[in-house]
Amino acid sequence: MSISTFFSSFAGMYVAQSFCHSLIASILMDQALSAWKIDDPVIRQRFRLTVVLFPVFSFPLYQAINPDRGSVLFRLNAIFDVNRWLNVDLWGVITFGLLFLIVLAITSLIFLFQEMIPILKHTLESRTMEHEGTRRESDPFIESASRTLKIETPQVLVVEDEELVIFSTTGKNPLIVISTGLTQALTQDEMHAALAHEIAHIARSQRPLLLAVFFLRMILFFNPVALIEFRRVVRNEEKICDDIAVLLTHRPEALAEALKKFYTVRKTPEPSAQPTPLFTPVPLEEYSYNIQLDGRIARLTQDPRHNARGGWILLFVVFLIVASIDYFVV
Amino acid sequence: MRAKAYSFLYLVLTIAAVLIVLKTLNWLPTMIQKDMLRKFDSVDEVQSKLNIRGLQVPSYFPESIMWPPSEILAQAKPYPAVLMIFNDAKTRDVALVISESASDTFSENSLLPFVQITRKVPFDLKNRKALLEVGMCKKDEPCSRLSWTENNYRIVLTMKSPPFELIRIAEGMLP
Repeated sequence: MSISTFFSSFAGMYVAQSFCHSLIASILMDQALSAWKIDDPVIRQRFRLTVVLFPVFSFPLYQAINPDRGSVLFRLNAIFDVNRWLNVDLWGVITFGLLFLIVLAITSLIFLFQEMIPILKHTLESRTMEHEGTRRESDPFIESASRTLKIETPQVLVVEDEELVIFSTTGKNPLIVISTGLTQALTQDEMHAALAHEIAHIARSQRPLLLAVFFLRMILFFNPVALIEFRRVVRNEEKICDDIAVLLTHRPEALAEALKKFYTVRKTPEPSAQPTPLFTPVPLEEYSYNIQLDGRIARLTQDPRHNARGGWILLFVVFLIVASIDYFVV
Repeated sequence: MRAKAYSFLYLVLTIAAVLIVLKTLNWLPTMIQKDMLRKFDSVDEVQSKLNIRGLQVPSYFPESIMWPPSEILAQAKPYPAVLMIFNDAKTRDVALVISESASDTFSENSLLPFVQITRKVPFDLKNRKALLEVGMCKKDEPCSRLSWTENNYRIVLTMKSPPFELIRIAEGMLP
């Protein structure tokens, strides 16, 4: 099968068009967020999730509405026909289509090694791994926070380690693991803030929606735009959990101080970014690799009021605009 | 209020910019590569500019069909393909579509879409194995389609009429 034949097939059109659709959605959603100065992480995440999820369905949906969308005349009158570029010869040797396939292959490998394998590994480990440490007696703060978030109270395990470590495992028996180094480094308020952040992760990971989003995102494993946007969703998840932690503790400065301690401990941050799985144990320490920790600290110490005005209406309007434009992008 | 107006204006300008960029990006490849799908004025122009050989042109046309074609689209890359659209002499609606292509992926069914296919039978077209489809288009108008392969080209004729005239047109395209 030649490259041009592949991109004329249903699978090829899905691959090429979902890329274009997600790119257009990403640009317009970003600009809308920026124009309306929306900084509420919950609203921002909905915009990002739209960019990740809409292209999963856009092509089959459009084809169902109009089966002749792939016809010659429709393509000729379209706003943008991606096949024109994919069929362009470069010095008569290779086509843009081949270069595009290489980009998709690289994206697929990044997805496999930085998302899929780590998530599978963490999931398997969380089922089989026995954490050695001392189980902490029930903590009134954790019980109260869990009640507020309507989740089962997670157990807290203290492990012998001088490093600053805190992470949570989810599933049937959620667990928060903290190191002795952390218990010594953080004040009680800071510890509560850090624990509240982890409890927020546990609470949010129990929502089937997030799991569904991740499985749908996997369909676009080849799509570089979906890869970047999903990482933004994960970063946003941290900010949402920060906000929940602040709601639980009413002490944003305590969480900011706790984050600062993680930030200063890591003297040489590792450049390789590894996405944070949403439902697997991930040490808070790891977040410093890929998340702009200083950005999180800054927003905790600044004005806590978020701008979410008209967020839903704006999302709906921009979505309609994106869907209308994408229909004519083949 | 003024901030909202600016935000709205900014979004409108962004949408306009995205549309302009998309249209420009859509046009650019046709400048880089001249043999991509585009409109031509005549069949002779297609043959001379794209150097497509073996193009079959009907020698018979019923009076109800206008000559020359109202629209001719053709490409040499990624594979040679030509699409000729003919109008009805009276109504000026699309009445006949002829497509000749070196690939099966080249399709144009949107101009005369079949709502229902009542018969689909093999047909002997001057010793060539063809497929004849008869059915209904929109507004309950009779439609027919004849397709076969000639010199590695997939030829498809679709006409808004019963198959009799279509077969005569197809026979007129063969040596």
